[in-house]
Amino acid sequence: MPFELAEPRSLREAIASLDARDSSVRPISGGTALMLMMKAGVLRPSRLVSLGRLGLAGIQTGPGGELRVGATTSLRAIEKSEVVRKGWPVIARTLRTLSNVRVRNVATVGGHLAHADPHMDLPPVLSALGARVTVAGPAGERSVPVEEISTGYLETSLRLNELITLLEVPPLGARSAAYLKCTTRSADDWPAVGVAVSLDFQGDSIREASVVIGAATDKPTRLAAVERILLGRKIDENLLDEAATRELSIEGDLHGSAAYKKQLIRVYLRRAIREARAQSR
Amino acid sequence: MKRALSPAETPQVGRSLPRLESWLKVTGRAEYVHNLRLPGMLYGRIFRSSVAHGRIKRLDVSAAQAVGGVHRVVSAADLKEIVPDPYYGPAFHDQPVLAVDKVRYVGEPVAVVLAADPHVAEEAAHLIVAEYDELPAVYDEVEAMSSKAIVHDALKPAGTFPDLKHLKGRTNTNVALDFHLRRGDAAQALAAAERVFEHRFRTQQVMHTPLEPLVSVAESTDSSLTIHTASQSPSFVRSEIARLLGWPENRIRVRVPFLGGGFGAKLYIKLEALVAVLSLLSRRAVKISLTMEEQFFTITKHASSFRIKSGATRDGRISARECEVWWNGGAYADIGPRVTQKSGFTAAGPYDIEHVAIDSYALYTNLPPAGALRGFGIPQLVWAYECHTDMMARELGIDPIEFRRRNLLREGRPQATGTLMRDAAIEKVLERLEALMEWKKPFDRGKGALRRGRGVAIGFKACVSPTTSLAAVNVNGDGSCIVYCSTVDMGQGSDTAMAQFAGEVLNLPAESVRVVHSDTDVTPYDMATLGSRSLFHMGNAVKLAAEDALKKLNQLKSELQIPPDAAIPEIFKKKYGMQAGNVIGTGSYVPSYKSPDANGLTDNATPFWMVGGSGVEVEVDTETGRVRVARLVNVADVGTPINPKIVETQLSGAAIMQLGFTLFEKMLFDDHGQLRNASLAEYKIPGFLDLPEEIVNEAVSAEQRSGPFGAKGAGETGTFGVSPAIANAIHDAVGVRLTSLTLNPEAVFMKLQEKK
Amino acid sequence: MRHEIRFRLNGEAVSAQVAPHENLVEVLQENFGLYGARESCGQGLCGCCTVLVNGRAVSGCLYLASLIEGAEVLTVENGSEPDAVQQAFVEAGAFQCGFCTPGFVLMTRQLLDEHPDPDEDAIKHYLSGNLCRCAAYPEIIEAVKLAAQKRRRS
Repeated sequence: MPFELAEPRSLREAIASLDARDSSVRPISGGTALMLMMKAGVLRPSRLVSLGRLGLAGIQTGPGGELRVGATTSLRAIEKSEVVRKGWPVIARTLRTLSNVRVRNVATVGGHLAHADPHMDLPPVLSALGARVTVAGPAGERSVPVEEISTGYLETSLRLNELITLLEVPPLGARSAAYLKCTTRSADDWPAVGVAVSLDFQGDSIREASVVIGAATDKPTRLAAVERILLGRKIDENLLDEAATRELSIEGDLHGSAAYKKQLIRVYLRRAIREARAQSR
Repeated sequence: MKRALSPAETPQVGRSLPRLESWLKVTGRAEYVHNLRLPGMLYGRIFRSSVAHGRIKRLDVSAAQAVGGVHRVVSAADLKEIVPDPYYGPAFHDQPVLAVDKVRYVGEPVAVVLAADPHVAEEAAHLIVAEYDELPAVYDEVEAMSSKAIVHDALKPAGTFPDLKHLKGRTNTNVALDFHLRRGDAAQALAAAERVFEHRFRTQQVMHTPLEPLVSVAESTDSSLTIHTASQSPSFVRSEIARLLGWPENRIRVRVPFLGGGFGAKLYIKLEALVAVLSLLSRRAVKISLTMEEQFFTITKHASSFRIKSGATRDGRISARECEVWWNGGAYADIGPRVTQKSGFTAAGPYDIEHVAIDSYALYTNLPPAGALRGFGIPQLVWAYECHTDMMARELGIDPIEFRRRNLLREGRPQATGTLMRDAAIEKVLERLEALMEWKKPFDRGKGALRRGRGVAIGFKACVSPTTSLAAVNVNGDGSCIVYCSTVDMGQGSDTAMAQFAGEVLNLPAESVRVVHSDTDVTPYDMATLGSRSLFHMGNAVKLAAEDALKKLNQLKSELQIPPDAAIPEIFKKKYGMQAGNVIGTGSYVPSYKSPDANGLTDNATPFWMVGGSGVEVEVDTETGRVRVARLVNVADVGTPINPKIVETQLSGAAIMQLGFTLFEKMLFDDHGQLRNASLAEYKIPGFLDLPEEIVNEAVSAEQRSGPFGAKGAGETGTFGVSPAIANAIHDAVGVRLTSLTLNPEAVFMKLQEKK
Repeated sequence: MRHEIRFRLNGEAVSAQVAPHENLVEVLQENFGLYGARESCGQGLCGCCTVLVNGRAVSGCLYLASLIEGAEVLTVENGSEPDAVQQAFVEAGAFQCGFCTPGFVLMTRQLLDEHPDPDEDAIKHYLSGNLCRCAAYPEIIEAVKLAAQKRRRS
């Protein structure tokens, strides 16, 4: 039960406090997910390395018009940021129904992405937008697409002594994006499915399509077959329905059976495309 | 203080004054057992069974005992030195303080770790090892009727409450109680009926989830025991602990401050016997606070199955109804037998039916125990009979409200037991429901994927009887007034109502009246705060006590030759020569009652009837099956509302709670009886975003003549009609009929697929 | 393993010996006798444990006490006079058992600081992470609107 709490003042110090081979040493940022795991007894840390004093928080736009969000920026700060609301409204809208205000006040974007719970809302949205994170480790930094962070349920491609330091989201440009989720119990439940689309409409056809679903699979999953159907021609909703769930391995859970989740994906995909289209006009 | 002495300017009943304890609650200073710390107090952490049914082969607590800071680990064997026969329960003495030899559900308490640091107790509890010889288990209530898996080797009736005196001990059965009612000849009438309808319905197991989880603290000396507990039934706790210990009741004190919600979860005995024994064993104060998760393993609401069959004429007159109800009581009876009987006899609904047959069975299964939850089984019954009634109406081609009206149980007519309906505004409730739903106006049925529909349902409930309430009203030398009663304010506003009663009689503003919280050393006996009985029973007792005090004051006035209009302090000054002394009025109330005969019939089944109905407008997303309740109308007969504002909050609060039980609340078990969603992350209760856009609540103009100032209970009434009204509305919207709760999106969608 | 943390609690400089695993609610209750923030669901979902840390509402049951070193902590017990929000909750009868009420009071203050005149949708979304099992939700909405009025008037 007792553990050590380290509060490093520099990134280098923080990385040095982590341990490449010891999963009981964990970074803690907002800590909302870690605290839950500790309370449930699934995580018994020997050391927690707090990232609160690293000065990583902040929201800016970069030289290429990209959104740059420091890893320890709270979800609430992102939701309220004028920069985000203007340039990436889909992110602000998504955040409004992500957990609750208190969690968003505390939880940070880096922790959100590193936790890799497939029910989370931002990973599919950021994946659909083509976002990347900067990951720092003992050997320096590397850039990783958000889409490649999660490798499975609560599993990531991050090494134990690596930290996410920065999130970068390319400018939306001509694209319009939407995220819709469906809860099957109370409104504040974890979603049964979440569908994120980023589409570049040109008249009735689509020039660029990015479609990523969350919650129904063990990690956010790109619907490549759907993207192919969406490109360049008028949308055939029957083809779309068929493509939506063709490549997916979906397991039923407390939110619904696999068959029902497939139905939800088909319906919410169509609705998300419709919403993105409405925004493009 | 000045205000306390000035007479009330307006009547106190019928006033929507804010709750007496409002400021304590908004500043976070209200007293809950949750807050209590005592010197030297130990925390108990419960180790629970991991199998649904099994003999305890080995229990190894050595590793837990070895943890630094652990005071002691206690299992059933250790209890025997304090309590030789450690079984308790209001209906059967079937529940062990800690599992003895056998476990009967996953989550049953097996051992307790005591430590001064709750984290140490928790860590140590993880180190306890138990091995079981597993036994065949039964989970379904209908299967339990004939299952070879027998949960209890022998049944041991408690004999505590007069209405449950007839329970008999039996062996080789899971039937804790069977209740049968025969009025007329239902079988023959069904055979002769022009139309016959038969349906089966199910409800799911759910949990109360009070936000203050169950918590009890005990402190003891060799000769006395004080239990501070979040309990709805302090008097029962005292007598049951006294029985277990073999002590006289005056050595046991039970104190109850405010409750952070109850809803029936905190009734009879829950943690009290355990903390009492732990305190006597350790000679320390002991506190057990359950986590939200542990509450799911403590008390729940009965899942149920209901087969209902009705005969009717072609023009829509119901001639006969046959009801068979199976109640899933889980591993311990708790108050299930009363649910089975008291609710059972209303299973045919608020309709005037000549021939009625009811069979109602309380069953043991290997699931967490079920007890009372806001309605004592009534919502389960209304769910079935009001879906069934709606289905009949639609099949007969009669408007559902018109069909109900034709068959309504009207004032003065005998209910199925033979008890005449008195002060039961069933007609008025239906009438107001029809008006508030604007039933006869054209209705927007939606378009595209979104279809709209509407539905209504009405239900009624008898009050548990006979039960006793005693109260004392103390008038001090300065004229200020204190009410002593053991009714527990768990949010329903009873303190405020009792102050209003006393204030009304003594002509004092209710705000100036103090209501002393349950303390069995101080406040007189009360059966319990349950089943919407307190406002009526304790209200009558407080009224009588206040009248008694007033009578004594007036006697003193005449003895002392003080003018009748003199202020109260004048009396005491004259009698004692200074501001001194007090006058204590007492009141006790127990209504008359007649036990049902062999046919379940009695002409005096209840002191009053509760009547409630709901109407809803829903929107069904036909592509996903999601149901949105757009409008919810709740109408109730609560007699004369004593505090209209609190009554409205009770009605709408009950209806919103039932909305959760209807749409998404469900305890999900795997094949081994293991609960899969024991947390608020996976067991969802209604929040702001689940509210209907519009909620309308109305208490119809009514009077309960036997009630205090015309009042009767109101805490459960809002739950009655919600579930069937929603199912009826879904059918109205999209033409599919759900017969099993919850009405979740997938279930609706699957029905829509079947229909295609 | 205990270490000392220093912070400001309801306007006063305080210190406490805390263990690394202790959460903020435990420290407020055990070290300072403040029970207005209380753990119920234990998962940050019900809002009964709401506390303000550096002006932001947090779930005290999910907040490591050690991390409040140097912070400004406010609980429902702060202040000697009831404010417009508390008055509005009393007048609107916006609670029954009262266990969740301190959390609602603190969240409502935050909401009104951000949106002085919130519409019903804003109220529902902002407070959607606070549960009231007595379901006094309609009364709470009424109280928030009333509190907004009272604040604007003063």
